[in-house]
Amino acid sequence: MTVARLSGDTQLGRLGPALLLMAPAVVMVGLLFVYPLLVSLAFAFRNEATGAWGLANFHKAFALYGGDIALTAGVTVLSTALVGVLAIAIAGYLTLGENPRAVFILRWLYRWPLFIPFVVAAQLMRTFLAKNGMLNNALMSLGVVDPLHAISLLDWRGVVVTFVWKQLPFAALLISGAMASMDRSMIESARGLGAGRLRILLEIVVPQVQSTVFVALILSFVTMLSALSVPMMLVAGSPTLLTVDMAWRVNSYGDYGVANALGFVSFAMSGVAAWFYLRQGLREGGKPR
Amino acid sequence: MKNMHRSLAMSIAIALGSWGGLAHAQTTLNVISGGSQNMVDYITDYLGPLFEKQNPGVKVSVVGTGPDDAGSQKMLEKLQAQKSAGVTSWDTDVVIPNQQKTGEMVQDGLLMKYRDSIPTGKYAVSQSAKQALGVNVDGYVMPMFESQTAIAYNPDLVKNPPGSYDELRAFVAKNPKAFGYNGLKNGMSGVAFVVGWMYAYGGNPETVQQGPYDTKNSAGWKKAFSELKSFNQQVVFTPGNAGTLDMLNRGEIAMGPVWVDMFQSWKAEGRLAPNLRLKILSPGMPGQPYYYAIPAKAKNVDLAKKFIALATSPEVQAEGIVKRFNWYPGIDANVVKPALDPKVWNALFVDITPADLAKNGKPFPLAPYFKDLREQYEAQVQN
Repeated sequence: MTVARLSGDTQLGRLGPALLLMAPAVVMVGLLFVYPLLVSLAFAFRNEATGAWGLANFHKAFALYGGDIALTAGVTVLSTALVGVLAIAIAGYLTLGENPRAVFILRWLYRWPLFIPFVVAAQLMRTFLAKNGMLNNALMSLGVVDPLHAISLLDWRGVVVTFVWKQLPFAALLISGAMASMDRSMIESARGLGAGRLRILLEIVVPQVQSTVFVALILSFVTMLSALSVPMMLVAGSPTLLTVDMAWRVNSYGDYGVANALGFVSFAMSGVAAWFYLRQGLREGGKPR
Repeated sequence: MKNMHRSLAMSIAIALGSWGGLAHAQTTLNVISGGSQNMVDYITDYLGPLFEKQNPGVKVSVVGTGPDDAGSQKMLEKLQAQKSAGVTSWDTDVVIPNQQKTGEMVQDGLLMKYRDSIPTGKYAVSQSAKQALGVNVDGYVMPMFESQTAIAYNPDLVKNPPGSYDELRAFVAKNPKAFGYNGLKNGMSGVAFVVGWMYAYGGNPETVQQGPYDTKNSAGWKKAFSELKSFNQQVVFTPGNAGTLDMLNRGEIAMGPVWVDMFQSWKAEGRLAPNLRLKILSPGMPGQPYYYAIPAKAKNVDLAKKFIALATSPEVQAEGIVKRFNWYPGIDANVVKPALDPKVWNALFVDITPADLAKNGKPFPLAPYFKDLREQYEAQVQN
């Protein structure tokens, strides 16, 4: 009895400082993240005018913004897929490329967008992708596009271009890091046996860095899902992305109910990504990275 | 040792005293402004320094919260939070909100009735100084300026610009994709265009502007919205108020709704092609004022009143509002006009005459109609 209590005490004694050290972080996360999150999730089900609880906000959200919900899912999934393909291509070339000068230039270049905030990227694209913007002007002077058929890309396509441009370096940085720390002997032996570079990339390198690719894409997905400035500045008219609709509900109608319902939908989307992320972490031994 | 203690104590006391004295001499007047960057510039570049010069020891600190309802909603929430927390002295002395949110602030008891206690109060003669989208704000506000929307067009591409919504529809049918506007979620010039459309085709425009609120009066909206939906198939959507001007400038559209003051300022700064012109469509397009107001528990009330009195004096309205920033005056135009060079006064009305303005300048709808209108646009036009 005494022994048991004693060991309990020492365990607590050992745990004490650890708990104390964790407390500020836990309190911060709890107060500034978990609590508002739970309140906003709960208030998605509350009708602010009548005080009743129910699904009214969701009915309105889907009736008015159903198309935007689908578009948001579509744009973020498409952008994530493009980021994945291009990031693997860049990282693959950095790892397997044989022209040292090209590798050097690419390594130097690809990181630049990482240092540019979303809002600045959106402003750049606003003039770059417009009907008579820099892209079309360049294509016209090259004779690729004739002026009458030039189209503006300032809609969901512009958002995809901006998202990919902005998130690509982040994903490529993580993936090329993982590729660089790989054991090169397998690459060398595959090369020795006559495998082409593309085949080495797809069949030997990518499977080994799969988990990093996954993590990079999930983090990109969640970042893009939450970006407000890019759709706000690029998408003219509708349909647009959910973040814009949320801001609109709050700013124009003071309607937090429907905004929360849209937030709930957005949480659900990122929740799917978070689930994959945690599952990936557990598979690697319980330490999500 | 004892001496050293005493001298140390004394020097601390002196240091504290002088610091306290300094803090006293340097009073900060906290101003929060809604609206675009030009409104913040107006305070930082012109009005603030002028007030500081007249009141030594006062520093004017201004924060901009951004255009449209979004910007003014932020100040509403800031004041609301201080009210709910039971704070006795609020950290904001002057707010400059838009019409919609001013009405809400008055209804929520966030503002102070001050107008009759300042010398320029008598110049607040316009309808909008008394009513903000149907809410009685009489006594709580001084209009900073009046702003108006109109159609900007490129005379090289459009020889005979349409003068009414009917003519615009005929023009768009003949010239698809030549007209552009920024929809509903992308800035007030687009909203204003839609409101003007509803005044033209939705029925009962007077009731929608003046009240009373009854959904019977908006029975005709359905048809007007379905016509707008087919109209929208032939127009270009622009990204925001500035987006419309950018696209006009790059020649991507030939015509679009803009804010008159923004148009004039951009033109004056050389950011717009000098040949672009303005026209208000009949039966009318809306405009709106921004207001000077004092929060109910502002810390420096007397200073705030002094600040607003200066801002709404005929000289400042003439020099700052009309001459430098191209807005229409917020106070009685009859007292502003004598303070200005006739040339400047006429430049303000070069495309849009005072008669046009009187006939076709309309207010935005009553708040509940306005909310219905925007939501129905979302449901019936966007979907």
